[in-house]
Amino acid sequence: MTVPTVPRPRESIAATVTATVVRGCGPAYERTPSSALPTNLGRMTTQQGPQRQGRTSAGPRTLAEELRARPDDAIAALLRSRPDLLNPVPGDLTQLSARLSSRASALRALERLDRFTLQVAEALATCPDGTGLATVRTLLTGPSKVKPHPGATPLTPADRSAVAAALPRAVATLRDRALLWGPDNGLRLVLAVREALAPTAANPGRTGLGPTLAEATTGMSPARLQQLLASAGQPATPDPVTAVAALTALLSDRARCAALLDTAPEPALRLLDRLVWGPPTGTVPDATRPVTAEDAQSPVEWLLARGLLLPTSPGSVVLPRELALHLRGGRTHRTVEPLQPEPAPAAPPRDPQAVDSAAAGQAHTAVKTVEELLEAWGLTPPPTLRAGGLGVRDLKRAAQTLETTEQQAAFWLELAYTAGLLAPDGEADECWAPTPGYDSWLQLDTAERWSVLARAWLAATRVPALTGTPDGKGKPRAALGPELDRTLAPSVRRAALALLAELPPGTPATAEELLPTLRWQRPLRGGPTGPDGRELRDDLTTWTLAEAELLGITGRGALAAPARALLTAESDPAEVLAPLLPQPLDHVILQPDLTAIAPGPLLTPLAQALALCADIESKGGATVYRFTPTSVRRALDAGRTAADLQTFLDRHSRTPVPQPLSYLIDDVARRHGILRVGAASSYLRCDDPALLNEVLADRRAADLRLRLLAPTVLASQAAPDVLLAALRTMGYAPAAESAEGDVLITRPDSHRTPPRTAPTPVPDGPPVPDDTLLAAAVKAIRAGDRAATASRREPTPDPRQLPRTAAAETLAALQTAVLLGERMWIGYLNAEGIASQRIIDPVKVEGGFVTAFDHHADELRTFALHRITGVAELDE
Amino acid sequence: MNDGPLIVQSDKTLLLEIDHPKAADCRRAIAPFAELERAPEHVHTYRVTPLGLWNARAAGHDAEQVVDALVTYSRYPVPHALLVDVADTMGRYGRLQLSKHPTHGLVLTTTDRPVLEEVLRSKKIVPLVGARVDPDTVVVHPSERGQIKQVLLKLGWPAEDFAGYVDGEAHPIDLDENGWQLRPYQAQAVEGFWHGGSGVVVLPCGAGKTLVGAAAMAHAKSTTLILVTNTVSARQWKHELVKRTSLTEDEIGEYSGTKKEIRPVTIATYQVMTTKRKGVYAHLELFDARNWGLVVYDEVHLLPAPVFKFTADLQARRRLGLTATLVREDGREGDVFSLIGPKRFDAPWKEIEAQGYIAPADCCEVRVTLTDSERLAYATAEPEERYRFCATTATKRRVVEALVRKHEKDQTLIIGQYIDQLDELGEVLDAPVIKGETSNAQREKLFDAFRNKEISVLVVSKVANFSIDLPEATVAIQVSGTFGSRQEEAQRLGRVLRPKADGHAAHFYSVVARDTVDQDFAAHRQRFLAEQGYAYRIIDADDVL
Repeated sequence: MTVPTVPRPRESIAATVTATVVRGCGPAYERTPSSALPTNLGRMTTQQGPQRQGRTSAGPRTLAEELRARPDDAIAALLRSRPDLLNPVPGDLTQLSARLSSRASALRALERLDRFTLQVAEALATCPDGTGLATVRTLLTGPSKVKPHPGATPLTPADRSAVAAALPRAVATLRDRALLWGPDNGLRLVLAVREALAPTAANPGRTGLGPTLAEATTGMSPARLQQLLASAGQPATPDPVTAVAALTALLSDRARCAALLDTAPEPALRLLDRLVWGPPTGTVPDATRPVTAEDAQSPVEWLLARGLLLPTSPGSVVLPRELALHLRGGRTHRTVEPLQPEPAPAAPPRDPQAVDSAAAGQAHTAVKTVEELLEAWGLTPPPTLRAGGLGVRDLKRAAQTLETTEQQAAFWLELAYTAGLLAPDGEADECWAPTPGYDSWLQLDTAERWSVLARAWLAATRVPALTGTPDGKGKPRAALGPELDRTLAPSVRRAALALLAELPPGTPATAEELLPTLRWQRPLRGGPTGPDGRELRDDLTTWTLAEAELLGITGRGALAAPARALLTAESDPAEVLAPLLPQPLDHVILQPDLTAIAPGPLLTPLAQALALCADIESKGGATVYRFTPTSVRRALDAGRTAADLQTFLDRHSRTPVPQPLSYLIDDVARRHGILRVGAASSYLRCDDPALLNEVLADRRAADLRLRLLAPTVLASQAAPDVLLAALRTMGYAPAAESAEGDVLITRPDSHRTPPRTAPTPVPDGPPVPDDTLLAAAVKAIRAGDRAATASRREPTPDPRQLPRTAAAETLAALQTAVLLGERMWIGYLNAEGIASQRIIDPVKVEGGFVTAFDHHADELRTFALHRITGVAELDE
Repeated sequence: MNDGPLIVQSDKTLLLEIDHPKAADCRRAIAPFAELERAPEHVHTYRVTPLGLWNARAAGHDAEQVVDALVTYSRYPVPHALLVDVADTMGRYGRLQLSKHPTHGLVLTTTDRPVLEEVLRSKKIVPLVGARVDPDTVVVHPSERGQIKQVLLKLGWPAEDFAGYVDGEAHPIDLDENGWQLRPYQAQAVEGFWHGGSGVVVLPCGAGKTLVGAAAMAHAKSTTLILVTNTVSARQWKHELVKRTSLTEDEIGEYSGTKKEIRPVTIATYQVMTTKRKGVYAHLELFDARNWGLVVYDEVHLLPAPVFKFTADLQARRRLGLTATLVREDGREGDVFSLIGPKRFDAPWKEIEAQGYIAPADCCEVRVTLTDSERLAYATAEPEERYRFCATTATKRRVVEALVRKHEKDQTLIIGQYIDQLDELGEVLDAPVIKGETSNAQREKLFDAFRNKEISVLVVSKVANFSIDLPEATVAIQVSGTFGSRQEEAQRLGRVLRPKADGHAAHFYSVVARDTVDQDFAAHRQRFLAEQGYAYRIIDADDVL
């Protein structure tokens, strides 16, 4: 049998291809080959993009060049807004520009744009590089003289001026974040941004536009192009390039295009109207058939014949971008939103003082709740689940302890966990227990304790509200479990609270009121959409507000002063909170129905002492204690005396101690300790007290640790047989007694083992092998021998050296090669570490992988960038 | 932090510090929606329950008022969740309404369609409703008016009943205010009831609930069915009505085990109503015997389960419930709410006592120590016999004798549970005993003799727990009871709370065996009164002897 040599590397490449597809950010940013446009890499020297508006000679030629011209603080601002570029710190501006042009980094930056800035970028992406600011404005608002499409939101002159006013700021943002460069009359999007945002048939994006006519006609035969021209009533042109240009010019020219559409039959116009706001594609049978104006029968054929719909595949057609823009009245977006929608809370503003005091009350409760929970868990720590987290039953128990719902209990648990007050103890039988950090937290005063909790909450990625929701496998997620982290949480939390902070003090707002603004601020950061059509952000906002209320960040729905200090970091939130908290009291009110009421928080020693001698009946602003015989007995068991209790109550009661309470304490004390329980190993009884006294007095009996329980009974700590023996040596004649009091007659009992089998004999060597075993052994030995002595062929070494280049250089060279369609020579290490050299035609560079046509394998393959040892250009 | 008298607890109890200057204002503000749970000396406890909130809604208060009262008077910030919960709960009342439709008869309508959808999905509702008239309206079988209200309450969507009442057969009734007058709170109670249509009036024992009933009848001026606990109480109602209203003896019928009269005003006992013959309730036709315009339930907290069932069919008639306490040992407060009606008036005992309408009482628990032999016998008694044993222990007898001696100038009632014990006490004290087997004539005779001070000591069993008007009784000695029944204790105290001619305080003694279950039961029994502000003193038997 021979081992096949080829399939293994092939498999591994195939595997990487699949991995790439999975890793891609979904169809939204899938790149099509037709969108290859001039790049801006520093290394590039050729600039081929259309430059209709003519660049000033002083303008930078590349992004790197432009960056070079920026002042230091602008670069710092760029790095601040895109911190991923700093990891690791780029070597030079060329490297920086290469890195910020990478797809992952560009997408990350796009996610952090507001809706209008994104709309500007999207509008830019629909037109070629070098477009001016004025064109972008026209694309967003539509030319003022043209009637907009009925489907678009009509714009008032005020809206138009708002767009005009907001546009420079949006462009400045894009430029600051290096998503765009070039002067205002020749704006250029960074390639990765263009790729992500340019509409294509497969991915119309948020504009809902299709590919340009030029892109959609790539690969169409010259004859067919001429057919289209003829059907559209245009003169023939000499070559395909001019044919495409002529068709594009026809669709872009408002008057001529309108004239052409005027001849269209009504159903054809209705069909176009269905595609105009996207998605721009439709399914038709046999879309690629070459219909002409003459033999067009159906509305679809009428449109196909004139190039007003273009085939993308045998089964589908697309509306070219130019025509869509014409039909829309020149607008890229149905609705343009230049201004951030301001939340308009429906509820009337509340008295800020009431808000602060409500929040302070809740802050106090929060601190007490965490303390109560951790005190309870310090005594009986619940076990951690094997997969991490807390079992459902323990969560229920925690909810019972806190007298709250499981959902809220989960919140308090996560809060303590996030603040570092609670953690798994790491023992073999792992438990959740308070940390030493909890002990130092306890030393702080209430306001400081709260600010520790609030700070931790603000930055936490843990989302307690996910507890109990089904995970990917349909199992409920455990509280404190590993699946509750959501990276989106802190940013949504901060954004929501920041919005609350901008409202006038005391104004409450609901999640529904905040969400439009939040969505406008970060349209692309909504997180995954659930089955109910809600984004993660929607839920996070709702949860944030609920948690903020619980924690006392907000009071009655409005942001409170301590939280404002926390958000702005201008003053210490603890100092703001401290005066709002109720002052601890040193007295209680005792009532004849055997209750004690603490009309506010008590000083800790008093609270502890009361909790010892009375049961807590209700909690809240005040605490109600109830004295019961059991609770009083508990205090007596703990070493208090009745007199102690009476003085303690008398001292701390604002009212005289009621008679039934004193009676209760005395009554319980009267009976307390009448029955005594102790442990003894044996006893000694005798009807003659004098004899017992004699034994007790005997010095030899000291080791027996005898104690006189009653005149006729002695208890001993020694075992009965020891006691018997000792008494006998002392010269007495004691008799042993059974549990029933009978005299025990002892006789030595011979000892037996439990049932046992006889031992099997131990042979002096292994058993004699049989013939089958021997034959098999010989065969194996022979085979091994043959393998060892066989002669081997040496592999022929490759005479050429692998090319070696730095990683950044490799990346830049490959990106360039993709753009220019150049052929490259690379060195590659496969998964087994075997080096090889390949000649490749790179197709795309993305997500750490190069997709390229491999001339060795004669097929399209994917290469991991980090495995490419180096690249070199090929001399043709 | 404001300096209010109220503290809101997380378990929805409200603590009211009554020595606070704003306490009275606060009490008025929270009384409509919060039930007074405990009223000891310094801090009163109110509880906010869904029923209480719905009672408030029924009385025309809205959530904003409730929230405002809490926020205004609370010393500490009120948890937002509680406020939201209050608004939520109150919002549930009245989303569903029962009303008369001109063509479809009784209909259930909603202002919130999903709620109707939700309740119509309930299996318990389906048999009670008919066709859907429009998306917001569904026909209800007229006979199920009570049932549907009961079920809706259980589902948490109490229906507001606008279907109105039949006027019933008119009958002239007037109050005969000759030499007496309705007390202000009684007038308020009647006003509150009449305004609300149907409902419950809560007044302490001895505060004149009968007169509230009489005044309600005078308002209704129609034939009335009065349901009372027993025959003696029926006679007293009759007596009182003849005395206080324009009604004559002939207009008032008694429907009990012995007499079966049906007159414009008929007084029936619960017992006869719930008597079954061959598995059916034999006297149900009484409800249909006349076209009653008003049904009065005395001692609503004792309403037996079958009466609830009949009441469900009486929803078109005005219903007045009278009681000293809404506490029911069986927890059926919800049925009282949905079938008889919301609470329409409520006055705490201590307040009425302060106005001088009921006598102040001195409550005292006398602890008796069992003798050694009794203790041994108690320890070895069967568990089910234990209470009986310690409650009837012979040691108690000496204490009772001593107490009677101490109050020999006063009219004294001795109340107990166990007949043997009562007979024995009767013998020792040379006092007549009234128990279940005593004939009604004999009972009346003895009560009269007691009222006329011909006899000063009367030994009574639990037959005398309710509605026996013995205004001159000033001392009650309780020797045993129905285990831990709180309302029994309240009723018994009520026996001595009628205001005294000379205005002196009443005495209520409870003789209890120390260190036994008797003591535990006594503690439980006393809770209601202790919570109503009656402070029990505890004294040792030796102090009495």
